[in-house]
Order: sequence, then C-alpha cells, then structure tokens
Amino acid sequence: MSAVPARIGRGLALAALTLFATAPLLLLIVTSLARGWFHPQVVPTALDVSAWGELFTDASRRGALVNSLVLGVATSCIATLLALPLGRAAALGTRGVRRVVALLAFAAVALPPVALGIGLQLTVLTMGLGGSLRGVLLAHLVPALGYLTLVFLGVFTQWDPRLEETAATLGATGRERWTLVLLPLLRRPIADALALGFLVSWAQVALTLLVGGGAVRTLPLDVLAMLQSGQDQRAAAGALALTVPALVVLGAARVAARNTTAVIA
Amino acid sequence: MSGAFEVRGLNVQFSDARVGAPAMAHAMTSENARRVSDADGRTGVYTDALRGLRDITFSVTASDCQAVLGVSGSGKSSLLRTLAGLQRAAAGAIRVNGRDVTTLPPEQRSIVYLHQEPVLFPHRTVVDNVAFPLQVRGIAAREAAHRALEWLSRLQVGELASRMPQQLSGGQRHRVALARALCAEPAVLLLDEPLASLDPAVRRDVGDALQAARRASGAAMVLVTHELDDALAIATHIMTLGHGRQTALDTPEALLAAPPSLAVARLLGIYAELAGEVIETAAGMMFRWAGGRLPVVGGIVTSARGPAVACVRAHEVQIQRCDASGGLIDAPLEPRLTVVDRRDGASEAWITLRDAAGANIGLRTGGGTDVRLGDSVQVTLRHARIFSPD
Repeated sequence: MSAVPARIGRGLALAALTLFATAPLLLLIVTSLARGWFHPQVVPTALDVSAWGELFTDASRRGALVNSLVLGVATSCIATLLALPLGRAAALGTRGVRRVVALLAFAAVALPPVALGIGLQLTVLTMGLGGSLRGVLLAHLVPALGYLTLVFLGVFTQWDPRLEETAATLGATGRERWTLVLLPLLRRPIADALALGFLVSWAQVALTLLVGGGAVRTLPLDVLAMLQSGQDQRAAAGALALTVPALVVLGAARVAARNTTAVIA
Repeated sequence: MSGAFEVRGLNVQFSDARVGAPAMAHAMTSENARRVSDADGRTGVYTDALRGLRDITFSVTASDCQAVLGVSGSGKSSLLRTLAGLQRAAAGAIRVNGRDVTTLPPEQRSIVYLHQEPVLFPHRTVVDNVAFPLQVRGIAAREAAHRALEWLSRLQVGELASRMPQQLSGGQRHRVALARALCAEPAVLLLDEPLASLDPAVRRDVGDALQAARRASGAAMVLVTHELDDALAIATHIMTLGHGRQTALDTPEALLAAPPSLAVARLLGIYAELAGEVIETAAGMMFRWAGGRLPVVGGIVTSARGPAVACVRAHEVQIQRCDASGGLIDAPLEPRLTVVDRRDGASEAWITLRDAAGANIGLRTGGGTDVRLGDSVQVTLRHARIFSPD
C-alpha cells in the first residue's frame, strides 16, 4: 500500500473515532441549551441557559450537587487513607495474605453493583444508618476501597524496600521514613488514588439508590429522575455537570503527576 | 575488647533462604536435614548450617576495615543486614563503642548500611540526599547543606550537588551514596559488595573513594565480598565464611601465607592444588607428588602420613625445561613432566602438565615462564601449604 492512501485511511479512521467519542457530548450540550426540542425538529427552535442556572439556584439541585461533592471527597480521602497501608501490608506480606487481600479487593470491584448494594443495604440498615449520608458514604467506600487497594497493591509490589532501609540506617525514624521518603515518592499514585476514589463515588447510582433509599439525593440520581420524567434539557445539563468534576479531577491528577519527580508511577 | 565495633557469638538467619540444588544435595547427607517451605511455598531440605550463620565473633577498631569473604549464598548479606538491624539476630551481641545495640532499631545503632547498588532517594537532589541524615537529626537546613557539600567535595563530586540521582553515572552514584553515609558520621559503615558489577575504571574509582572514606571518617568498616581482590584493596583484616561458620580471621598477609584449612585456601582462589601424599623419610616428613618432593615444614596443616593436597601460589612455582639432550638442568633426581596445555593470562600462565602415569596436573605460574607445548620439564615448588584432603 502506498503512503498517500494509507494516510487517508488513517485520517478517516481518526475522524470516525473522534465523531464517535464527541457526538454524544455535543448532542448533550445542544440538548442542555435547547428549549422545547422535540422530534421531528432537526434543530432546536430556541436556546437558553435556564437548565444550567437551576443547577446552582434550585435548592434541591444544589443539595444533590453538594451531597455528591461531599460523598466524593470523603470517599476518596478515607479510601486512600485506608487503601495505602492495606495495599502496602498486603504487598509486603506473605503470598497467602497478598492473595486474600487481592481477592477481597477484587470482589468489591467485580461484584454486580445491585448484588453488592443489596448486601450493603442490609448491613447499613442493621447499623441504623439506612437512608443517611453516612450510610451511603459507607457503601461508596466498599468499591472505592477495592479499587484503591488494588492500585496500592500494584504500587507496593514494585516498591523498592531498600529505600526505607537506607533511610532507617541513616537515622530516620518510622515517621520520618513515611514523611521524607515514602509519601514524597508516592505523590503520583496518591493523586491518582484520590482522583479514582472521587470518581468511583461520583458515578455511583445503584449503591446510592439502594442504601440511601431515595432520602439521600445525589446528582446522578437527580439526572436519572429528570430523564424519567421527560425533562431532557435539565437532564442534559445535569449529565454534563457530572462530567465536569471528573475532568477536573483527572486534569488535577495529571498536573500533580507532572510536577513530581517521583519515580513511582 | 575495646574495639569500636564488636560482634560476639552472633547467630544469623538467612533472609533469602531458597531451595537450591546444591543445598539439597548437601542436606541429604546431613543428620540435621529438615524439610522446610520458603516464602513462595516451595519446599526443600536444609541443614541448620545452610539456613544461617552461627557463632560469628569479631571486632573492628575505628578506621579499620574488615572484609567478609564467602561464596555466593554463604550468608554475607544476611550478616550485614543483621548487623544493621534490618533483620533480627537469632543470638549473640552487637556492640558499637561499648553500647549494646543488638535489639535496637536501625536508626538508633549508628551503623550505616550501603547496598551493593547505591540507593539514592530519587526525589531529592544530590545535596539533599547527602544532607538527609543531618535533616533527620534536626540540624538546620543551611548547616546541613554546608556539611553535605563538604563531604561531596571530599569525595570529588561537589560539582554534582544540584543534579538529580537519575542524572548520575554509576561511579558518581557510588560516591554520592558514600558521601551521604559519611555525612551521617556513623561509628560503623557496612558495605555490601561495593565493587561488584562495576567495570574496571569505575571499580578503581570507587575503590579509591572507599579508601579515602576509611581514612577520613574514622568509622569502623565491614565489607562483604566474594572477590579476594576487593578485600585486598580495602581491608585491614579478612574473615572467611563457609558452611554457616566463621572459618578464618586474620590480616590479609597472614591469611594468604597460611590459610587455616583447604576450604579457606580454595575460597581465597589464588592457589593451584597438587594431589600427593605425606611420607616419612630419613630427612623428615615430605610431601610427595608426581613432580617431586617437598619438605613439610613450618606452617603445615597436617603432619599425618597419607593422602594430602599442596596449595601453591603462582610465584612459588618454578618450571624449568630439560636441556636438548634430554638431561635435566638441575635437581636430577626430580621426575620429568610434559607440557600438554598452556593458557596465558595478563600476569599468570595456567599450565597443564602430564606425568609418567598419564595424569594431568594443573599449575599456575608467572606469565614469563619459558615453556611450550610438548616440552619436557621439571617443577620446583619453593613453598606450599599442605592439607589433608576433604
């Protein structure tokens, strides 16, 4: 095959891929701005930003947004704090310990959300936390902890223990080894873990619905409700709002990674 | 004992004990053999001797360096890790300047451990790496950086202060790691095969740096290696390990002149072995081999009659060609041998001789020995160490 047709083929493939990836997003943007856009109209008859404004002015919508943010931040912080030592202990432990931890972490990730949600619902109800933000947080922590434990298990399996040994014989106490060696070198995986933990919680629907019992409203639940009731413009604005923090968090994680000299990726 | 660093009756568990064919073969013949599983779930048979070191005792005074010589898997690294506090001592005592540190954590021992490959903190510049031990001691950043720069300059890498470790060559990394270790002002410096896997130029460079460090720091140094040359380059004393025990401890000169056993002589790796026997003659005890006889004199290991092994160094061997008529140049009573192979090294030659019975005998001699394949020769041994065979 000559160079020119090959280049054209690659260009077409790239264009198709770009369209495939961006078309739904573009459609969402237009829908979020279109007032009364019904079939068979090809283009909307009128545009406005009322659905976007409601995200911040409507108390109910704002509450859902705040709940989502609180749950996302809390889940990512708590899951990272727990998963880091757990993944480290598992990686440095015996093969049996490593296997058990990896299996449990993988189960939390791989189990169908509905099955996991029903199990968690019973647990949370037993604890008296059904329908509460704390109960939903507990539920979100389960898959987030699973993901992040697997992340840190991978990180510490590659970890060079000689770094800590060297620091120890140079006089560093256990705390100093963490603060001066371990944590600076783990900046990138920690940033990734925080981002991942946030996104796991941010996108949860089934667990929030089952454990929150409708009493805890989050943005994804609101978007689903609006879609079911035919409020396409509002649903589209909400759906787009769902993608913003995800993009911000991923971007921030990348920037943090670029600004670190750590060798642990 | 008044040494800066004293080790008494130390028992060391191997940290990386793995099942291996040689260990299995040895263990099968041992009364103490036992079946064990390693960390990866593989099982095999070990003897107690193969699973650790026993009764290690030595002392190193300030500014002295003791080399620990042993084959791979003899427990050298496990010994260093135990001394550093990175693994627990099974028994015995470790003292630093009279203070018992056996049960103290690594950071409280004043013992710095340098890994075989220098481990620099990749997120810190060279000067920050070297200042690390001062930082953890609470010394102000400016003062710590000043002292770190001093050590870097002493080890001739001051110009690298602002670089990151990833930007350094192998030799530079060694020097920076050494500067950092010395900046900690340890009482004891442990070096794990510091010259292994280095090319000759870097090897000389790092060897020089270690010598300079020994003189400048006043720390007692313990160096493990499996290369005699490395030990000779730096150490003031050499200890050998074998079969889980300390097999020798002496100055390099004394050890090379009279190794205490055939196993130690083999470990030193600088002797040719000649099989023969010790006999009693009117002139006294003699070692008789295919190339002649040698009086068994001072420094011998065995005086018992019977099979024996003579260990000779290259400079103790003289090989002379017979003259053209087939007569012998001197020592006419000595038997003749035939040169059947010759391989020349940089400073020595490995010569294979064949005796009248057709048996081959390998000898090392000086590179200038004037013999060729097929020559009829006689061999004079100026000195040899005689041992009972294994």
